Amino acid sequence: MDKIQYVGEALWIGYLCKAFILGGFVTSVLSLFSYTYASFGPTQSSINWKKLGLVSFGIHAALILSLLGLMFYAMTHQHYEYSYVFDHVSGELPMKYILSAFWEGQEGSFLLWMFWNLVIGTVLIRINDEFNVEVMAVLLLSQAWLNSMLLGIYLPFGEEIKIGSNPMMLIREVTAAPIFNNADYLSLIQGRGLNPLLQNYWMTIHPPFIFAAFALTVVPFGYAFAALKKRSFEAWLTPALPWALFGTAVLGISLIMGSLWAYEALSFGGYWAWDPVENTSLVPWIILVGGIHTNLIAKATGRGIKSTLLFYLGGFLMIIYSTLLTRSGILGDTSAHAFTEMGLEWQLTFFVITFLLLGLGFFIPNYSKIPSPAKEEAIYSREFWMYVGSLVLFFSALLINASSSLPVFNTIIRAFDPSYIGRVIKDPIEHYNKYQLWISVFIGLFSGAAVWLSFRGIQKPNKALGLRLVAYGILSIAFTWLTTLWITLPDWHHVLMAATAWFTIISNAHYLLDAAIKNTKALGTAIAHFGFGIMAIGILASALNFSYLSNPFVFRGLFGGEGDEEKYIQLIKNKSLLVKDYVVTYTHDTLIGKTRHYDIEFKQLAGDSASGTTFVDSFVTRPNAVYSNDFSKVAAFNPDTRHYAGKDIFTCVVSLPAQVADAEQAKQMEDSLKYQSHSIAIGDSLTLGESTIWVDGINFPPKYPEYVKNRHDVGFEVAYHVKSSEGGIESGSCAIGLDGNILYKYAGKHENLGWRIRPAEALMDQLLTPENDLVYSQLKLKRGESIDWQGYKITIRGFETQADTFRYKAEKGDVAIMGLIDFEKNGSAQTAKPIFVLRGNAPMSIKDYLPIDGLHIRLSHIDPSTGIFELRVAKDIRTQQSVIPLEIATEVPRSDYIVLEAKIFPGINLYWLGSILMMVGLLIAWWVRFKENKQWTSV
Amino acid sequence: MNKTTILALLMIVAAAVIFMNASKDVSTYSNFSEAVSSGSRVKVVGVLAKEKPMEYKPEQNPNVFKFYMKDNKGEERQVILAKAKPQDFERTEQIVVTGSMKGSDFYADEILVKCPSKYKEEEITLRKSS
Repeated sequence: MDKIQYVGEALWIGYLCKAFILGGFVTSVLSLFSYTYASFGPTQSSINWKKLGLVSFGIHAALILSLLGLMFYAMTHQHYEYSYVFDHVSGELPMKYILSAFWEGQEGSFLLWMFWNLVIGTVLIRINDEFNVEVMAVLLLSQAWLNSMLLGIYLPFGEEIKIGSNPMMLIREVTAAPIFNNADYLSLIQGRGLNPLLQNYWMTIHPPFIFAAFALTVVPFGYAFAALKKRSFEAWLTPALPWALFGTAVLGISLIMGSLWAYEALSFGGYWAWDPVENTSLVPWIILVGGIHTNLIAKATGRGIKSTLLFYLGGFLMIIYSTLLTRSGILGDTSAHAFTEMGLEWQLTFFVITFLLLGLGFFIPNYSKIPSPAKEEAIYSREFWMYVGSLVLFFSALLINASSSLPVFNTIIRAFDPSYIGRVIKDPIEHYNKYQLWISVFIGLFSGAAVWLSFRGIQKPNKALGLRLVAYGILSIAFTWLTTLWITLPDWHHVLMAATAWFTIISNAHYLLDAAIKNTKALGTAIAHFGFGIMAIGILASALNFSYLSNPFVFRGLFGGEGDEEKYIQLIKNKSLLVKDYVVTYTHDTLIGKTRHYDIEFKQLAGDSASGTTFVDSFVTRPNAVYSNDFSKVAAFNPDTRHYAGKDIFTCVVSLPAQVADAEQAKQMEDSLKYQSHSIAIGDSLTLGESTIWVDGINFPPKYPEYVKNRHDVGFEVAYHVKSSEGGIESGSCAIGLDGNILYKYAGKHENLGWRIRPAEALMDQLLTPENDLVYSQLKLKRGESIDWQGYKITIRGFETQADTFRYKAEKGDVAIMGLIDFEKNGSAQTAKPIFVLRGNAPMSIKDYLPIDGLHIRLSHIDPSTGIFELRVAKDIRTQQSVIPLEIATEVPRSDYIVLEAKIFPGINLYWLGSILMMVGLLIAWWVRFKENKQWTSV
Repeated sequence: MNKTTILALLMIVAAAVIFMNASKDVSTYSNFSEAVSSGSRVKVVGVLAKEKPMEYKPEQNPNVFKFYMKDNKGEERQVILAKAKPQDFERTEQIVVTGSMKGSDFYADEILVKCPSKYKEEEITLRKSS
């Protein structure tokens, strides 16, 4: 077969991108080796190696930035010949989502991660401390691995092995489709665009934060590695700490953002679901928090260096482990997060193994050389309780990780025993909550007490301290009792969690006022621990005590036990429903772009029945449904939440009538309707089942909205009113329109009756006589003259040379004259506007129709010399005018309802406040440690 | 014994207790006949029996959706789910329900549906003719 010469492909982009990717990989490896060699010995050659490492890093950075720029160019210019552009961009995608589209795919998100590595590498080079060479080597090792994920090289070893996935492959290279036999295929295709679920601002801001955090966590790993490599176990503790604090804060902020995203914009129905994807991002955060605590201990007392090393090595290891889990498809159906597989699971596994071996390979041989004081710490020393707290954190991470890794264990066991049946957690949320509750109890207790103790136990415990802790204890019991007045704490576990949370809140609030104001180092500590307690109370309030606004009248007892709770309510448009103390009404829906917004009105009744129907509060929420890019069905529901200081009211549509949610179902339903013919005289009624229709008359022209929009040659509207079994009377109309030879019917919809009413075709025949059957009379008269015809007084009022009606579209060269002809009868006048056209010497007559009287009027000739108009006039033969043939479908399923999930989350703001305060505490601590470090501030 | 050793021992004991306990939270994917014989709460994996009727009548109860599911052994049961009908349910490839048997029906309160991948098999969209 001949090679096809494709039209319009910008192949240079692909060649350049592939060169940048390959060049980026080569230079990152070169820089990695240079820094590695530089770390051996303080000789002159080491300095040269470091220079080479620096230069190759610079070239690498330039190549990757060029790659980013060029890929952006391809995406903004819609070069669909490239698979990545095709998969993520479409002509309809607003420019504001172009960044989201860029990192929607795995390759783009790897590039985002690499971008942050470049930024961090540049900062590290500027700082250039004694560990610089080793930290850079580790950073470049991760960079080279990430870069390898983009290579797209196939190795022909038996089965084809793929190294990396190149985003800038041509679409025709990766997809086989007959369309590529067409040299001009580019003009025929359009991109898939961004998944509608991801078209919101969270997708723009969340990924940069999370990948910045991923990149930042490599630095503590790098310092830990540097310490082991140089066998310098103490000096690294000072520069590593601020990096760990900053990275942990950014990772925490990303977690909060993800939580907000899930809560505010996705239909998960909450802010944390213990989904494996969430868990594997939380685990490194917990581990790094543990590391920060042991790092502080080690700086102050020289203890816990081994733990610090392990925590920092483990933090980044868990980051890349989470990358492996979320991107390899191994999680299968245990996760709600949809990640497309790239076939890179082995490469990702080796990425993890490399760092695991690197960490352990340097830790184990050096284990005995790592200093640790022989003397035991005092039980009343701060470091003892901080250390125990770190162990608790380690435990927490271990538990979450073990449970989230079940699919990994299953896969590993199945590799040895293919018959092994994989294990799953029956009820994940319950499982995680059950154990993490205890973590919270210990953290609350230790963080509340430890802040008042001193390092090395210099200050011996005294009576004042004891009394103070007892006072906090009593206060926290009192606050816990107050809490139970507000929310339900179902058992003693939860009471204990609340009490320990209050303990740390009270203790740290006091610490904040007492000590931290004078001591900036203590400020971050106090705020972070205070925030932890607040967050724990917020979780107890919102996650344990949320309730559904649901209809208590729906029959119960079906499920018996937990499943018995009514969750959702059906809301019929404009029919109010009383749920708990709210009157809820679905009032409107509006389609904007691909999103249908539903207005749900809530009116809160005054608590006591004595005040009658007075409302103490009213508000509207607007949850929405997003249609897929091709509009064929609803792709996602997005919630809307009403916020109060003390609670949130969360609303989300969970179900729509099938015919609204899905175009195919709508067509099926339309086809399945059984219309029955009925003839009803004007003024008469017809009863079908328990409902009745009265026909009121015929209207010209129809006012039916869809009819008005489409505008037909001729049309009639039937006006009627109906009464349902409940007694409500609705007036309505249906219409029929003729366009050329095509008849259009517009049905009247009556959801309360389950009726669809439309005119029968016979109505058109009955009212409009076909052209061939019309008997035209020929009339000749001058402008201003009148003539009598069948009781009408016909007058030529004049004419216009600018013919303008919807029946006539002017073409170039046309000579058109539109007559203005008055028809008067019984004192009422109508004006007909027939048109006479000369198109290339061929005369044409475009008739006008007066529907009320059924008059057809043509202008067949105008004699310019005499000024005589030749008219042809005919009248419809209207028999049986008073009997209207209608078609009525009954038992039509409703399409005017939504099924709504409405939840009340009490105290959710405490959760947000607490978690944000934790990050604020971390950032303050980072700032203090950053300022402390002279070497840095001089940069 | 120093404190570190005591702590380490405590931790190991705690870990052992927790892991013993946590193993109760874990199960394999089950099928209907096992659900009948055990009577306990299980996860059943299967496919939608497309020829059998589905029933979701929000006007009566928006919290109940009934459908028939065929488990991995080919056994078919009615599932009564305490949730709204999931979007695009007709097109699901795989269903996992969590619940227990009651009489001849499976009462579930959790469901996970796996839909055909939106990206892999999708055909190349043609540019609109205009």
